[in-house]
Amino acid sequence: MTGNREQLLALRQATVSFQGFVAVDRLDFSVAAGELRCLIGPNGAGKSTTLDLICGKSRITSGEIIFRGEPIHTYREFRMARTGIGRKFQVPSVFRELTVMENLEIGCSREPGVWHNLFRFSGGADTERLERLALLVGLQDELSTQAAHLSHGQTQWLEIALILAQDPALILMDEPTAGMTAHETNMTAELFNRLRGQHTLIVVEHDMGFVRDIAETISVMHQGRLLAQGTADEISEDPGVREAYLGSGGIGHA
Amino acid sequence: MSGKLTRQFLIYGAVCLCILLVPVVVDDAFLLNKYARYLVFGMLAIALSLSWGYAGILNLGQATTFGIGSYCMAMFLKLKTVPVHTGSEGLPDFMVWNNVTELPWIWVPFQSTTFSLLAGILLPALFAALLGWFIFGGRIAGVYAAIITLAVMVVANLIIIDQQSYTGGFNGITDLAEFSFLGIDFDAYSASTYYLVAASLTVTLFLALAVSRSKTGLILQAVRDQEERVRFFGYDVALYKTFVFALSAGIAGLAGMLYTIVMEFASPTFLGVPLSLSIVIWVAVGGRQSLIGAMLGAILVTGVQGALSESEAFLETWTLIMGGLFVLIVLLMPKGLAGAIEALVRRLPQAGNGRSARHTEPDHRPETHPNLGGTQ
Repeated sequence: MTGNREQLLALRQATVSFQGFVAVDRLDFSVAAGELRCLIGPNGAGKSTTLDLICGKSRITSGEIIFRGEPIHTYREFRMARTGIGRKFQVPSVFRELTVMENLEIGCSREPGVWHNLFRFSGGADTERLERLALLVGLQDELSTQAAHLSHGQTQWLEIALILAQDPALILMDEPTAGMTAHETNMTAELFNRLRGQHTLIVVEHDMGFVRDIAETISVMHQGRLLAQGTADEISEDPGVREAYLGSGGIGHA
Repeated sequence: MSGKLTRQFLIYGAVCLCILLVPVVVDDAFLLNKYARYLVFGMLAIALSLSWGYAGILNLGQATTFGIGSYCMAMFLKLKTVPVHTGSEGLPDFMVWNNVTELPWIWVPFQSTTFSLLAGILLPALFAALLGWFIFGGRIAGVYAAIITLAVMVVANLIIIDQQSYTGGFNGITDLAEFSFLGIDFDAYSASTYYLVAASLTVTLFLALAVSRSKTGLILQAVRDQEERVRFFGYDVALYKTFVFALSAGIAGLAGMLYTIVMEFASPTFLGVPLSLSIVIWVAVGGRQSLIGAMLGAILVTGVQGALSESEAFLETWTLIMGGLFVLIVLLMPKGLAGAIEALVRRLPQAGNGRSARHTEPDHRPETHPNLGGTQ
């Protein structure tokens, strides 16, 4: 189903080992432009590590990462981000001492230079766009609230909004619904379905209900390798996947 | 412009005006010299507030760049003096005593006024840029970065003491000519020198305010909160930190130059651990996340320190009193005096309108943009 779409990201034989422990093992993985891909797998399968490799937080020991036809795995983190990759971390990380609006202004990083930003002050041309983003994640009434005073769910959404302010071609989401209430999770699923098509997303998620709500293609990782790939129904009937999840109570409880 | 920003400008302007008007009231040249010295310390506090308060870089060696600026000015003024024993063509006195036969190459450019004045700011900035590039490029942060700044200062101090024939060694550089610029003579004990320092302080304060209010200033605060997060938005964090480190050093260098004019000498003690740690105390007391708080903290602490140490009643206990005050303030007001005042002001209007003030906020949004630098 990704055949007629342009390939955005490809990992080829990507391998990383931490002091002998191979977290990601000769992984071949590719995502087409505009796709919303879910990445699932049992604990320790290497999902978060894979996201770390794509955004530069960890470095591959061998193999290559191609983004928009460019091998990016040698770039430093900020340069990888500038090629159009945004990362939402598992533990929500926002700037707690700054207000919601100030947070969003940081996210807006099209012009990352020190000198350029020395002559830029708040209330610029981006304000309207950032207010729309705040509205999208339901933080429109909290613009001048210090981020430290937001609830956990709001903090998660703020970080998602920051990534949207950055406006990268590829968004990496690491457990975006972690710690959210059922209602908040539903709203997040709705948000992701709205992002579909405008951005390419790779979402690591444990909540299978959420995955079913948003996914078109699901990739399953196990022991650092790609185990299976397909629709939600194809995945849950795959014997290899069933075996991998054995003992953890099946895929629904992963 | 938001109401908060206007208020901030008014406060900063009013404080600077008060400082500039002091010579109208005070006629005592000795007092003016003393106050000018306090203002120089205020400038140092602004420098540290930028790097520590905004970017989270604790510089325990702020006095290094202060000292470099101070020596630049001292070298310049030393070459303007006429040596007593050898006449106007002769070398500075301490070089003669050390059997130096010709002017060392590092002294030669300081015959130029333009070079000397620029060097006093740019050399410390360049020095800090190189050091910052090494520290931040190597991802050294927190206490380790602080230790490096401290160690570098001790090394610089030792080099100055050791290279006596070029630096005057332990005695420093004394017996300087009077600084004169654009036809004005700046006698250390005069209103003109006080105005020079006060004007420099005003310019520095507003420059630092502009930087802290810019998006670069906002990004620096974000780096203080979550460095990793900033990096993955595509900002070159090391470059941002190096920038603020160098800017802070440039301000400290300017303060050093002024200090030499006010004190009429330069000494290796200017690059000392006691001064560096004092700057940290002033800034902590005043409020490190407020430029004006840090500045007033320095003026207040050094002022009280001066008054206590000069009064007979506290001659033996003043260091104890200062230490006790410092501990109390740090324990009770983690954001310093400025933070405590800010919290008090914020509570005042809310006491009247209750929570309704906050709920109506979004309606005002179009004209009052949520502003930068909320830490003020």
